[in-house]
Amino acid sequence: MEHSSLQRQVAYGKKSLVDQGYLDEQFYELEELEDEASPNFVEEVVTLFFCDSSRLVANIEQALEKCPQDFRRLGSLAHQLKDSTTSIGALRVKNECTRFREYCDEENLQGCQGSFQKVKREHAILKQKLEAYFQLLRQTGPAARATCSGD
Amino acid sequence: MDPNRAAASTASSGRPRDGVGHPPDFPAGLRVLVVDDDPTCLKILDRMLRKCLYDVTTCSRAAVALAMLRERKGAFDLVLSDVYMPDMDGFKLLEHIGLEMDLPVIMMSADDGRDVVMKGVTHGACDYLIKPVRMEALRNIWQHVVRKRRNELKELEHSGSAEENDKQKRALDDGDNASSASEVSWKNVKRRKDGKEEEEEIEEREDPSTLKKPRVVWSVDLHQQFVAAVNQLHVDKAVPKKILELMNVPGLTRENVASHLQKYRLYLRRLNVPQNQARLDTPYTGASEATFHSVGSFDGLDIQSLAVAGQFPPQSLMALNSEPRRITTTGIGLSSVDQIGFNPSAQMANASNIRPAMMQQMSNKQLNFLSGPSSSMESGLLGQSQQPVPSYGNMGLRVSDGASGFFSLPSSQRTSTSFSGGTINANMTNSLVMQMTRQGQQFSLSQQQNRIHINMPQQPQTRGQLPNAIAAEHDSRLSTTMGHQILSNEVSRHGSGRCGSNMNVCTSLPEGYMNASSYGAVSQALYADFSNSCMNESTGSSYPLATGAGATTFTSTGMLQDAFPPVGNVEALGNSTSLKGVDFVPDYDLLSEVHQSKSRDWKLQNINISYQLAQQLGSKQSNIDFGSSLLAHQDPIATIKDESSRNTCIVRKETFSVRTDIEREKGECIAQCNSTILVENSVRVKAEGMSDLSYQGGLFDGNIIQNELMDVVGKKQQEGIGQVDPEFNFDGYSLDDIQGAVQKR
Repeated sequence: MEHSSLQRQVAYGKKSLVDQGYLDEQFYELEELEDEASPNFVEEVVTLFFCDSSRLVANIEQALEKCPQDFRRLGSLAHQLKDSTTSIGALRVKNECTRFREYCDEENLQGCQGSFQKVKREHAILKQKLEAYFQLLRQTGPAARATCSGD
Repeated sequence: MDPNRAAASTASSGRPRDGVGHPPDFPAGLRVLVVDDDPTCLKILDRMLRKCLYDVTTCSRAAVALAMLRERKGAFDLVLSDVYMPDMDGFKLLEHIGLEMDLPVIMMSADDGRDVVMKGVTHGACDYLIKPVRMEALRNIWQHVVRKRRNELKELEHSGSAEENDKQKRALDDGDNASSASEVSWKNVKRRKDGKEEEEEIEEREDPSTLKKPRVVWSVDLHQQFVAAVNQLHVDKAVPKKILELMNVPGLTRENVASHLQKYRLYLRRLNVPQNQARLDTPYTGASEATFHSVGSFDGLDIQSLAVAGQFPPQSLMALNSEPRRITTTGIGLSSVDQIGFNPSAQMANASNIRPAMMQQMSNKQLNFLSGPSSSMESGLLGQSQQPVPSYGNMGLRVSDGASGFFSLPSSQRTSTSFSGGTINANMTNSLVMQMTRQGQQFSLSQQQNRIHINMPQQPQTRGQLPNAIAAEHDSRLSTTMGHQILSNEVSRHGSGRCGSNMNVCTSLPEGYMNASSYGAVSQALYADFSNSCMNESTGSSYPLATGAGATTFTSTGMLQDAFPPVGNVEALGNSTSLKGVDFVPDYDLLSEVHQSKSRDWKLQNINISYQLAQQLGSKQSNIDFGSSLLAHQDPIATIKDESSRNTCIVRKETFSVRTDIEREKGECIAQCNSTILVENSVRVKAEGMSDLSYQGGLFDGNIIQNELMDVVGKKQQEGIGQVDPEFNFDGYSLDDIQGAVQKR
């Protein structure tokens, strides 16, 4: 029971994340990639994502401070971030990234800065939420995960 | 692009055979290389691909990926690459891969803007996936591998022999993994050179490492049989079914014969077009043209003759004649080629009228050449040349085209040059060569090829001969063929090993160069090999061909891309110089078109050849030959004419033209022609002339011819050749004549 309740929680948690737009169906795809051979795949990927994206976010921040006129570089960094976010399905972060990139293309420093703040924020929120999600998932155990992924 | 390409079946395994003999569990085991700078994406793709049962290798840097691909050629079936990468633009990587390895590449990006997608397409990507990439999309990527293989097969098929087909089919069947299947096809095609190191015979595509593609290799013998059958039935009335029956070759399918016949006819037609029409009495004129082209031209001497045919002034021819052997080779290359390819002189009926006369001499060898090329071409030489080899095939073919014309010419047209054997004489040379090239490729090459290996390798002296021959024959076409041959010889000589088989064609030259037979073979080999193996392999020997191959390869790489498929083989030549033989294959098509330009085809071929030759000749002849070969193409630039020394260079020009763009060729050819290595003694392969030939592919031919010419010339002078500097890749040819000739293109 608690098992199933946990499972339900996990399922619910995930669903809400998706509903709120933090994640998109790509996330489900990732879950489908999990199997006995790689049971923690999603978690691994997400961890990797945050590790990498945090670095990118920091780079962008630094670039904005030090050489804000280098829009090309900013745009390139933004693109990289966007790539990562799309692959895990981080919808909101991705959308903000897209906007950020647009500002870069327009060479609109103001817009870039504003947009970047949003990116940063969304990124932090997502990180938090996913951490909680995985925590829950770990509690439920592999079996639960299996059921959950069948969303 | 829609990542969820629903089209393909999702099942990765249990895919039914698709005719190319994929193993039952294909596409499982497909070897994919993924390149993406983003670690998250990379991890996800890795996982997805593994789920599809593919064999995945990941790489986060493009430079590393490229290095990996280069070192382990044939280790991958498919490449998946991101577009935006910090160290190298994805499109650039795409280009490199396409040029050097000819692997199918799929681009990916989160960017789905039309322009970006368009860019992917124009740069040659097989597909473009939008991120996030879904599993369904990845499940279907194997289709690109299959498709590519099939295309290659088709190209080679024309000149392939039934046996090969069978073997390949069987091999494929036996193959237990998809990758091998695809590999096989590729390998065969492209890699002929690579895979098989030193495979002399182009026909031997059956390298155990790769599954054999069900390609039919038209060996000289087979081609001769074919020609005999056609002649028996009368070229106009010959229908594949009847021919098949007459030939009575087990494993040969009607389709094989049909395509071969078509080539042959083209070849013959080509032969007839230029002056040869009348002369060519050989039956070749017609259909087999295409196939023969390649083959014939290389015959080494024939090529010369061919090349010469058109252009060579009687003197050259005489010169060639005097060297009967050689000329034949060169010229004969054509003629022989014709003969061989087209079939021995009369048989070829279609191909070039010329052939018969020439063919005789050359025919054996050269025809092989013709066939060789075809075969070689098929063998993947054309395409394969290592990877690029496939291009070779094209080249070979292409050359064949030219060569065919070339060959055809020699016989009939040649009238002028009556090279001893192949006087491919310039007359034909152009057309013949072209034709021959084309046809030769198809036809003779195969036959010859196997042997032609022109492995001249051992005989450095052959080279000398070649030049002579080349000179004589070179006639533009010859050059090509010869060039090829020469190249092959050289290549073989060098033993570039790469081409192993392929170059056989080229290599034939080395031995005594092409004395007609070898030349033919060489030519063929060149062609074929070139395409595939870039002649190299066979020769291993001294022939700079190998270098040429390498050299050619470059050309190939650069050039090949387009036109020179054969050049690609050049890689095979051992030098692996990036000849992406692979490219040849595509060029082949071009060559066909070139047909007319004859020189064009030749160009490619010649270029390749010449290239190779040049390379190989290292100093001697090769260069010259190339030039000559090149010359072959358009105008018998090979005009190695009389000058014996000249011969070579010109060839080059022609072939070079072949480069895919044939257009380019023109310009190049001209350039090359200049280089035509005028074999004059030292084949001066002046690098300068040729260089531009973009003939890259064609150089080969030119080279070959040159070689032959060189031979011819060389004989006379023999010493001169030394000049050919290997590096000259074509430029060295002092094709002065070639230039003129080349211009024609």
